[in-house]
Amino acid sequence: MEPLIIEPTEFTPSILFDPNNSVFEITGFSRPENVIGFYKPILKWLEEFNDNLLSVNTDYKKSLLTINLKMTYFNSASSKFLLDILLEFMKFHSKGNKVDINWYYEEGDDEIQESGEEMSDMIGYPFNFISYKS
Amino acid sequence: MDNGEVILNHKGPLSYEEIGFLLNRMTMLLDKLGMNVTTKKKAYSAMVESLENIYKHQDIIADDFEHVPQFTMEQCNESFCISASNSIMNHKIPALKEKLDKVNSLDKDGLKDLYKSTILSGNVSQKGGAGLGIINIAKVSENKISYAFKKLSDTHSYFTIKVTISHNNNK
Repeated sequence: MEPLIIEPTEFTPSILFDPNNSVFEITGFSRPENVIGFYKPILKWLEEFNDNLLSVNTDYKKSLLTINLKMTYFNSASSKFLLDILLEFMKFHSKGNKVDINWYYEEGDDEIQESGEEMSDMIGYPFNFISYKS
Repeated sequence: MDNGEVILNHKGPLSYEEIGFLLNRMTMLLDKLGMNVTTKKKAYSAMVESLENIYKHQDIIADDFEHVPQFTMEQCNESFCISASNSIMNHKIPALKEKLDKVNSLDKDGLKDLYKSTILSGNVSQKGGAGLGIINIAKVSENKISYAFKKLSDTHSYFTIKVTISHNNNK
């Protein structure tokens, strides 16, 4: 399956979903004018990836999925879709894949850190919290 | 709220690009004032949600040039005060008022719980709202949201919310 690559804009984050290396990254800022139009295709890609993975991967060789979320800001409408994306990844977890979720935040940015803690609580799955200097 | 220094002001219908322009100006101002990253993010969140609420819900009244969307940010004593106004159709008021009273009745943990239940159950509307904007404003402001509806006619009112973001622990 081809990777999903979306370049960042002033209002939307960069998306880099690399199924060959099982690394999935969302980076940057999210305040799309058309939040549904931006995130629906990403969710659709994940659903296809899910079907694809299941068709080639039976009971063995469950790969580790690494999800890197490095958001600097996201509005409330985007948070709903980020949650839906994470819930989609949880489907892989429920099918036996190991899933690592890394939540990056700028040192001292309590808002993004707390948002990550809330997301982790909402999906009922632990995140790795990683701070970085700006 | 009324004795602060106005640092940002907008009057008139809002486009998406204008929201971006106002946000960029606010970011530059807060950088200049030396605010820490958390204060900046809180002010940013409150401003985005207030402006997007106007953008999504502004029911423009033809030929009324007074009750147009309006946004002001002031620097008050150890806080930023945000005021956002837009005209609104009267039939939308009860649901909005109920939502505002609900968030004002909750503490920080209560707001987190409400955010969680809303995001897990709610669908995103065609306008992109997820019913989370007001909860988010209340979460970041840590103060009660004050609001008013001024009746203009049988069909429309002018809605104003005022939010304060403390920055007394900034440094």
